Amino acid sequence: MEFLYYMGDVFTPINFGLLLLGTIGGLILGATPGLSPTMAVALLIPFTFQLEPQQGLILLGAAYTSTVAGGAVSAILLKIPGAPANIATTLDGHAMATKGEGAKALQLSFISSAVGGVFGVLLLIFLTPVLAQWALAFGPSHLFWLAILGVTVIGTLDSSSVVKGLLSGCIGLWLATIGFDDIMGAQRFIFHPAVSGGINVIPALIGLFAIPQVITMFTKGRSSDDAEIISVQKHPIRLAFVEVFKRKMALTIGTVTGSIIGLIPGVGGQIAGLVAYDQSKKFSKESEKFGTGHSEGVIAAESANNAMVGPSLVPLLTLSIPGSPTAAVLLGGLLIHGIFPGPDLFMNYPQVAWTFIDSMLIGQILMCIFGLYIAGFAANVARVPHAVMAAIVLGLAVFGSYSVQNSMGDVYVMATLGLAMYFLERFGFSAAPLVLGLILGPIAEANFIQGSMIANATVGTGTYFFTGWLNWFLILIVLASISYSIWMEIMSRRYTTKDDAVAKEEALS
Amino acid sequence: MKNWIAGAALALAAMTGQAYADGHGDYPERPIMMMVSYGAGGATDFQARIVTMTAGNEDALGMPIAIVNRPGAGGRVGWNWLATEAEADGYTLGAYNIPHFVAQSIEGGVSYSTDSFEPIANWGADPAVFVVGADSAFNSMEDVVNYANENPGGLTFSGAGLFVGHHIAALQLEKAAGVKLAYIPNNAGGAGAMRAVIAGEVLGGVNNLSDAFRAQAAGNVKILGVFDLERNTEFLPDVPTMVEQGFDIDNASVNFRGVMVPKGTPQPIIDKLAATVPAMFENSRVQSRMAAGGSPMQIMTRDEVLEMWAARQETLEELLAGL
Amino acid sequence: MTDLPRNQHIIASGLIAAIGVSIAYISFTQEPADAFIFPRLISSVFAVLAIWTFVKAILGRTKVGNGISGEAMRNMLPGLVVAIIYVYWAAKALGFYTATAIAFFALLSLYDPAPHSEMKSWVKRILITAGFMAVMYGLFALLLNVFTPREIFF
Repeated sequence: MEFLYYMGDVFTPINFGLLLLGTIGGLILGATPGLSPTMAVALLIPFTFQLEPQQGLILLGAAYTSTVAGGAVSAILLKIPGAPANIATTLDGHAMATKGEGAKALQLSFISSAVGGVFGVLLLIFLTPVLAQWALAFGPSHLFWLAILGVTVIGTLDSSSVVKGLLSGCIGLWLATIGFDDIMGAQRFIFHPAVSGGINVIPALIGLFAIPQVITMFTKGRSSDDAEIISVQKHPIRLAFVEVFKRKMALTIGTVTGSIIGLIPGVGGQIAGLVAYDQSKKFSKESEKFGTGHSEGVIAAESANNAMVGPSLVPLLTLSIPGSPTAAVLLGGLLIHGIFPGPDLFMNYPQVAWTFIDSMLIGQILMCIFGLYIAGFAANVARVPHAVMAAIVLGLAVFGSYSVQNSMGDVYVMATLGLAMYFLERFGFSAAPLVLGLILGPIAEANFIQGSMIANATVGTGTYFFTGWLNWFLILIVLASISYSIWMEIMSRRYTTKDDAVAKEEALS
Repeated sequence: MKNWIAGAALALAAMTGQAYADGHGDYPERPIMMMVSYGAGGATDFQARIVTMTAGNEDALGMPIAIVNRPGAGGRVGWNWLATEAEADGYTLGAYNIPHFVAQSIEGGVSYSTDSFEPIANWGADPAVFVVGADSAFNSMEDVVNYANENPGGLTFSGAGLFVGHHIAALQLEKAAGVKLAYIPNNAGGAGAMRAVIAGEVLGGVNNLSDAFRAQAAGNVKILGVFDLERNTEFLPDVPTMVEQGFDIDNASVNFRGVMVPKGTPQPIIDKLAATVPAMFENSRVQSRMAAGGSPMQIMTRDEVLEMWAARQETLEELLAGL
Repeated sequence: MTDLPRNQHIIASGLIAAIGVSIAYISFTQEPADAFIFPRLISSVFAVLAIWTFVKAILGRTKVGNGISGEAMRNMLPGLVVAIIYVYWAAKALGFYTATAIAFFALLSLYDPAPHSEMKSWVKRILITAGFMAVMYGLFALLLNVFTPREIFF
């Protein structure tokens, strides 16, 4: 209960002021396409040079928490995920916004973010030593199977056709191999200088989601006007709370999946939302409603990606190993003040460590309050006429993808992928599995190569990849996931006619 | 709206003015960007952010330096970009890691070499060290080499990638001890390689002194040897060098970090940077932050760096020729 | 009309199949082989799935995807041209802020339904453009310190 003892420190005027600043700033930065939490935190590091260690960390912790949640704003309103973590939020969140339920979607996302986030931080407070062992348990073979599990999710994620879902995933996996191979350093598929550095995930994300949006708005032409403008429904916050807690299944799956996956170094944050979304879809009684603006989709995705925030810091705080890029940046924030994280961090610097964790707890709640406050009028973005919207999204996409690494090449990649994605979408392919492939490709490949190098030097490939309870467990889930996809494909063949599928498509577009 | 036009007019006037004035006396007139070819939070990134934090001071450059990360393939992505695409206008700097980019250019498949860049100054030197898990049976390099002799090619040890400092150290160890080892490059850089050691996925690892020092302080690893000419008296006075343990290994793998610009940057700008940047590294705030973070500093001027580059080029060509 | 989507499906999936087959060919012929193990695996699956989709499209058994109607193509063409010129040429050549302002204004003029004959709608467009540019400048140049290409103006 030591964390309660230091709770008071969060509320000193300066500390609380910084917490507010970090939270509000984080929400704004998170909502800007192209600014991932890692970049937002890295941008704030120079400011912490001037501050006390404790204050600097409060600022960074608050910013980390709220940028993750802020990414949901652009995901819901503009269908541009602020970071890979928010991809799953676009699936149902944006569908809700186009139905005029933007306010509701934002409220749901902030409430479930806060629920997941608080749970994650509580795990960090109470279970850190246990979790640290878990974070170390994942070696190359396990990470490889985990990535394969992610790949099997691809087929059923967001497409009426399993084959086209898988094909989209393959396109993503292939795009991920462009550029220098991460281990050998060999050049692969570099057909244009813009891709010589590989395809950066953030610009790709912006292009794949935003550009098809822009082109779709173009296709509506100049004639159709007022009929297009949606009335934004007001949604009382009380009802949003009721809704979130009524969807216990989605909330639980999201929170638990997010916390567990968030722990796994290197993989966690990016796919937590998608895996949680997929799982709650499989367990839901209304799984056919997913993708059409169903509240469970938003709740599962957003509770998962904030639940991962707390656990993702476990390897950093206990073992001094940053488990995610953002944790690596936070490590820098600690080191410049001469604080070395490790098992005795909480003994040597209790005031810094506990205040930091407490501030993340309070930060979750503050984030929720501010989020709910802005949700009401932010939802009016849906009322912006499509001509203005198309121009704004295009401008944001160009600036956002440029700012990732000050590169014109990224802008070209963004636009080219986006243009291609528009046509792919018209022919039944979807962006989410493609991005999942793009993210998982390097993880699967690097761990496969590392695993086989270790295996060749020691026990042999078969033993290395196929023995041990964790390998067996992951393989089992992979098989279950594949069987489920095949079963779904057979079932849907039986009763889905071409007309049904077309009708569903029409309803979506 | 009026401001917009006024601003535009001003900018236009400023630009035409700039075009006619030939000198670069006013440099820098706007914030400078520095490319780091490793991810945010890595040792190079972290140190780059610290050593450039006082750039905005009047006695330094008077303009802030913003760090932009272009990570990928052990640094190749970033340095390729700096050599081929970056504008050589003095507003684009890059961080270098020796021996990484030299070794990569010798190995081939990249569009840079030491001739593609102009060094400005060196800020740090981070030797490679050999680490094993805290509960490992190995207590000296001799134990490690004995194990390798009994299990040829079976001693797995991690490092940050191929043709980076850690890999050079691994190659030197293999050559000096006359054994075959299984070097496992990690895709997640030094942090990932360290994690593999702590988790017991590999039997040992080569890592940065600064990171290993922290991991040892946290009780996670033992440090068995330093790949340098002398012991590190500041951080690890008790850890012997490889030579002390009977392996003929020099300092070719020591990771020198510093600032460079792409070739073609105007000479007056290079001169100005070469004069101010080392002084900027000397700043006491920079020094204290670097010491707090466990990062060994070694400040070198442009001329010294040019010499060091040439020396490394020679040793590495010799070492890598045997592959 | 009914056959328009089918033909489009054949062309689209044919293109994808062609890409799939060519990357598979590249993966299996490039050296060093070690670095291409993973691409070989992926491109094989890619090529098989793409050919399957292509065959299904030829047989007219494609279930999902509506294709693009002639009207949609006519509508998107001007916007697409503006966007392509903006992204691939103007942004770099004219500088981000200048190019964005011009493209933004052009897109508004092309797609905003307010009548072109009234002065009021033009004023509105200029104001929206100026407002957007102010927000972008504040966010990216002032707050985030991103130095975007600036060629003509700022």
